[in-house]
Amino acid sequence: MREYYTPTLKNRAQPSDDWIESIRQQFPTERTLDEVLSKKLRNRSNPAEHNTDFSDLETRLRAYLKQVTGQNDIVMENLHRLSGGASKEQFTFNLTWNQQSGTRASEKLILRMDPSESIVETHRLRESQMLDAMWGEVPVPRVYWTDPVGEPLGHPFLIAGFLEGTVQPEGGDKASGLGMFFEPKLRTALKDQFVQHLAKIHTIDWRSKGLSSYDSPQSNSKQANEWSLGWWERVWNEDAVEAHPIVENAATWLRENMPSVEKPVIVHGDYRSGNFMYSDDHKINAVLDWELSHIGDFHEDLSYTTCQILGTPLEDGSVLTSGLLSKEEFLDKYQQYSGNTVDPKRLFYFDVFSYYKVAVISVATSSRAAYGRKTHLDAMMNLLSGFGYTGISALQRLLDQA
Amino acid sequence: MSPEIEQFLSGMKKTIEEVVMPNLTDKFAQEQAGIVAASLGFLGLIQDKAFHYELLENQEYKGILQAVIELLDNTFSAPTSVKETSAKVSEQFAADKVDDPVHLRPYKFIRGSNEVMKELLCVFIQQQPEMPAELRNSFEALMKPFFKSIELRERSWVKALGFDPEAEQQADIADLLYKDGYLNISKS
Repeated sequence: MREYYTPTLKNRAQPSDDWIESIRQQFPTERTLDEVLSKKLRNRSNPAEHNTDFSDLETRLRAYLKQVTGQNDIVMENLHRLSGGASKEQFTFNLTWNQQSGTRASEKLILRMDPSESIVETHRLRESQMLDAMWGEVPVPRVYWTDPVGEPLGHPFLIAGFLEGTVQPEGGDKASGLGMFFEPKLRTALKDQFVQHLAKIHTIDWRSKGLSSYDSPQSNSKQANEWSLGWWERVWNEDAVEAHPIVENAATWLRENMPSVEKPVIVHGDYRSGNFMYSDDHKINAVLDWELSHIGDFHEDLSYTTCQILGTPLEDGSVLTSGLLSKEEFLDKYQQYSGNTVDPKRLFYFDVFSYYKVAVISVATSSRAAYGRKTHLDAMMNLLSGFGYTGISALQRLLDQA
Repeated sequence: MSPEIEQFLSGMKKTIEEVVMPNLTDKFAQEQAGIVAASLGFLGLIQDKAFHYELLENQEYKGILQAVIELLDNTFSAPTSVKETSAKVSEQFAADKVDDPVHLRPYKFIRGSNEVMKELLCVFIQQQPEMPAELRNSFEALMKPFFKSIELRERSWVKALGFDPEAEQQADIADLLYKDGYLNISKS
């Protein structure tokens, strides 16, 4: 393993209680985000590598399901690990049980479970509450059970209905769905739905939903953006395996140029190809991966979704947003469907923010997780740092225009 | 030294791709084996350049920190916090002298020294809001070409990983590291 070249790097690798407290004070963010990030740091000194052997999972999962349903006659079958994805360990299984309606039914379910350290450290209760809030608003899987502590299975998890559909078109083998290619016919069928769902997410009255694990930022203030930037600055300072002048300069710029948020909305946080699924009749039947969702500025989603590095390059040199449509068309349609007016200045701010976030996730956290051998995807985590450095390059080119 | 590292990596990559992967039935295992093979291919391309990459960075960071210190030495209005960072740079230059024959040092010495210098430069960057406008403008002017050299070098380093939509427009890392058959430290 690598040596600790500086005291900062030693603190990050073996965080003391005092150091964790100083990080918490320096980078304020939402309560539940603080909770998971602090937990990650407290667990980090544990020398154990992430255990990729899931031979006892079936026994533990069955015991949990018996306890949570109060039914001894449940039938659990066909437990399989899923491929794809970059953050959580995912398994599918079939469960037969007596549902709340009293009918005995069988359903294919998905278990989404944290590894010891993830490329993004997020809270399963937040994800679960957001999925519940979205039920009936946009297509999402139905959540059945959540355990944000993780005692029954060793790690926090949620269990939801498994939806059949396609995430990557045939022949697509892109890591985490980045740069995915859709045939023109499929683009035409999906692009309006893709924009409509995001517009819907941004116009939902989030205060009427049961989002108790989310902090509510004030309107017409910088609070939401301070929490968002505080979140990723904190993660950078907890996880980076080396200092980086461009990333540091970007953080300074983001602090000094932060706009206020007039009307905070639900921000998905990772809205792109790879995180939606469509059916055989070309209907988007699930918007997935809500773990980065929070309450903030709608421009944050717009910039992230249209970020060039997440798009699909075509032979003519243009880049399609999520492989579906041009950035200009995406923004035009968004304004039409949402009624929100896009402010170019705010959009630029969040363009910088999006590349900063990509850098934090892909350079700092992915490297850190692999450094500690804390995931089921250590090889992939190393590889993804290459994506992050491409993002840092794009970040610098943007800052040059600022 | 034989076999060379490149040969080891190439042999492992071929075995994984042609022997292991076709016989894996689990999709998750296939996916991970493919990532391992891709990583081995990448390592094969860059493994002989890692030492020189760090050596070049060592010279670049020494150069930029020297320039910042010179700027501060010629500025009366530098805040105390910035002067304190400057003093820490001088301490680092005592441990890894600017004119040290650092190319004779082990890789880990160079890597460690580079990390210390990167952290110190980042402290200066964090202190920009404390700098008077004139000093800050001069500091930004120094940093602009330095940031450019970092992003070009890093983007070339990871070019072969396949994530860069503009990969063909990026220089090969060997073309950035070397000039006329030598490490290209004149560019720094």
